[in-house]
Amino acid sequence: MSKVYINGTGCISPQNTIDKQWFFESLAPAQEDYFNAIEPSYKEFIAPNLLRRMGRAIKMGVAAGNIALQEANVTQVDAIITGTGLGCFEDSERFLLALVNNDEQFLTPTSFIQSTHNTVGAQIGLIMKCHAYNYTYVHRGFSFESAMIDALMLFKEGKQKILIGGIEEHTPTYVQLIRKANKLQAPPHPIWASTSKGIQLSEGSTFFVLENQRTNSTLACLLDVQTLYKPKTSTDVLEKLHLFLKSHRLDISQIDVCVMGFSGDVDFDKILQELLPTIKQSSSVVAFKNACGEYHTASAFALYTASKIIKHQIIPDTLAIENKKPTEIKYTLIINQYLGINYSFTLLSNC
Amino acid sequence: MDALIEKLKGQIIEQLNLAEVKPEDINPEAPLFGDGLGLDSIDALELIVLLEKYYGIKIQDPKDGKTIFQSVKTMAEYIKSQGKA
Repeated sequence: MSKVYINGTGCISPQNTIDKQWFFESLAPAQEDYFNAIEPSYKEFIAPNLLRRMGRAIKMGVAAGNIALQEANVTQVDAIITGTGLGCFEDSERFLLALVNNDEQFLTPTSFIQSTHNTVGAQIGLIMKCHAYNYTYVHRGFSFESAMIDALMLFKEGKQKILIGGIEEHTPTYVQLIRKANKLQAPPHPIWASTSKGIQLSEGSTFFVLENQRTNSTLACLLDVQTLYKPKTSTDVLEKLHLFLKSHRLDISQIDVCVMGFSGDVDFDKILQELLPTIKQSSSVVAFKNACGEYHTASAFALYTASKIIKHQIIPDTLAIENKKPTEIKYTLIINQYLGINYSFTLLSNC
Repeated sequence: MDALIEKLKGQIIEQLNLAEVKPEDINPEAPLFGDGLGLDSIDALELIVLLEKYYGIKIQDPKDGKTIFQSVKTMAEYIKSQGKA
């Protein structure tokens, strides 16, 4: 298989990622214990007759997909693959509320149609008039990783251009419920050394155009992805990481930057906190959830962060765990975890 | 009839989430589908629910929809003909 190049990104997040020039210079803070995405004016990306039916997840997804395609200068793809943990949550809520409030009568079709998890991929396909492979993974904390793995397999089958993305939205009710369950807290400082429990719930949409050709807009190469379900100890994770890197004839000492998914919850971060001393012996380490918060597909924001770091060859001070700057950033590894259950490794290189 | 037409315009805007449209923008005699408001088949389903929800009218024969939903005025006339205005 030829290399897989990341040739375009589109990111709507709690940070100013909609501005192409922005590179983690300063971070917007959380709203106490959760983040809201900074949303663009959608009229620039979506026709008004379509916009009126769309919930926020769909708008964020379609806009981010559009931005990624524009950046890569691509108008048609061989596949559209999305990942989402909760899907179009706002429309699901709207439909269920109508069901309850109207005593199961007078149910309108729009919110039901728009509430399905695959609506974002479908809308992008409809707008692009793309009749190719269109798939949505709803694998909780592995949703975006599954999209990446599928894309890599499709490249092995000879596909040339693939749009992949991770989408998540929250609603005031959802934030309130998670808060009542004592799962949220204000961001600890620093996020990688938390001693208290609770995440900062968040949302966002990040899309990538992957191609089998290098272009002027290439940011990085996506080499491989591996998922790890409920590892018991940091030793387990380290062993799997050694094997993962070995399959690429690499070892940890060759990783220039490691992007780690500290969520700020001491329980969920336990394994990553134990791995940190080993990783930072040889690699520069950065966090990313202090910028994007925690959600099922935060790994898409991690991929955005890692590919921008490779492209710029700069480690942003706002994310750096310590002030160690490699002379060249060749290999970048993402180690993510979601609620201490879903772990993943994503390996990137410069091109 | 005029009061019913104005009421219907507001209900259509709300039900179809026509955020950019104001009641005065809707010509009661202009077609709802195609040229006029540019509604589509999903909107047609929303309008059927609107009639049932607000006026207690169930459209028995789907073929009647073409005539009933021609314009805001034809909708109002149908509601009145059913004695639900």
